[in-house]
Amino acid sequence: MTIIKKIRENLFLVIVALIYIIMFIAKPAMGIEALKSSGYYIKEMLMIMPVIFILTALLDMWVPKEKIMRYLGKEANAKGVVLSFVVGSISAGPVYAAFPMCVMLHKKGASIRNIVIILSSWAVIKIPMLLNEAKFLGPKFMAIRWVLTVIAIIIFSWITAKIIKDEELPGEVMAQAGLHINRDACMGCTLCARNYPEVFEMENKKALVKSYDALDPDRLENAIKSCPVKAISYNNSMNM
Amino acid sequence: MDVFTLAIWIGTLIFLGISLAKDKVKTKQVLKMALGMGKGMAPSILSIIFAIGLILTLLPPAEIAAFVSNQSVLLATVVGALFGTITLVPAFIAFPLVATLVKAGVGVVPSVAFLTTLTMVGVVTFPLEKKAFGVKFTAVRNGLSFLFAIAIALVMGVII
Repeated sequence: MTIIKKIRENLFLVIVALIYIIMFIAKPAMGIEALKSSGYYIKEMLMIMPVIFILTALLDMWVPKEKIMRYLGKEANAKGVVLSFVVGSISAGPVYAAFPMCVMLHKKGASIRNIVIILSSWAVIKIPMLLNEAKFLGPKFMAIRWVLTVIAIIIFSWITAKIIKDEELPGEVMAQAGLHINRDACMGCTLCARNYPEVFEMENKKALVKSYDALDPDRLENAIKSCPVKAISYNNSMNM
Repeated sequence: MDVFTLAIWIGTLIFLGISLAKDKVKTKQVLKMALGMGKGMAPSILSIIFAIGLILTLLPPAEIAAFVSNQSVLLATVVGALFGTITLVPAFIAFPLVATLVKAGVGVVPSVAFLTTLTMVGVVTFPLEKKAFGVKFTAVRNGLSFLFAIAIALVMGVII
């Protein structure tokens, strides 16, 4: 049971590993080649990810929610858009490095629109990349592509924000501390709210964590265990 | 390490030092949180990296470029955009490659389509993005990015 669950959780990793195994049996030279070209990306990842994690955690700890909301929230308007472009452009590393940072910013009140701008500009219009582009393709090519890309990002970030609502972003997987309910999985059985009404409540037929001061570990464990779809998770690494 | 990565490291270390001076307990929590994030993302990041290694071996960028340069502009644009969507290529490989494409007479449109989808749209990063932001957000963002990448390419073809 747990093995199947583990495989399902890391399905992508399992598939990649399987292809490697097949490749090593069928064409060992190709397998070695593939591992070698992964090497560059591992180096790239090790150079940037640790610092991104630390920076994200630092900002999470020290920057108050109101500040993030004021500068990157829905009411920030043009100021928020410009700031998002700046954050994305001075970043470093591959686009997935932006994920934990953006999840944290969204949790603290940044708007979907600004999250999309940060993600996209992080991906395409980083300054070191622009310099590289000017070198190989000419400054004119680079400048025109930059202007068009900025316009495109402004338009589709606006469209994305119209389609996606804030509640539709889960963001629980990035190892946040505390108590979480996976609202995609919750089927509204109300068991947790009945078992531990001080902490859980129902809202729109889905369970929700209320603000709580203290947790009774036994009752919490009981509520987590009783959830039929295992949608409740508790990460106590922060609560000391 | 480029200047920007270095600057982020230095800035973060200074920030961390200030944090430590202000509140030891909170700083300890910060480091625990960072470690937790790292552990949470490590399997996904590693699978992305090894998947990119696989894709680059099975579909070498240079061969794709050679293939694209013999096709009509329309087909080249579609193939370029699709290839850019599947994989992630570092800038120092991508830009010289696109420069050879342009010089080989493939045209600006397919080259730009390839360049823009390459970085902005990610099939390999889809599972991780989905975990972070949900299926709907990821699908909408990548779908729109793909469409706009084509649009950017077409407009650039008209301008240049």
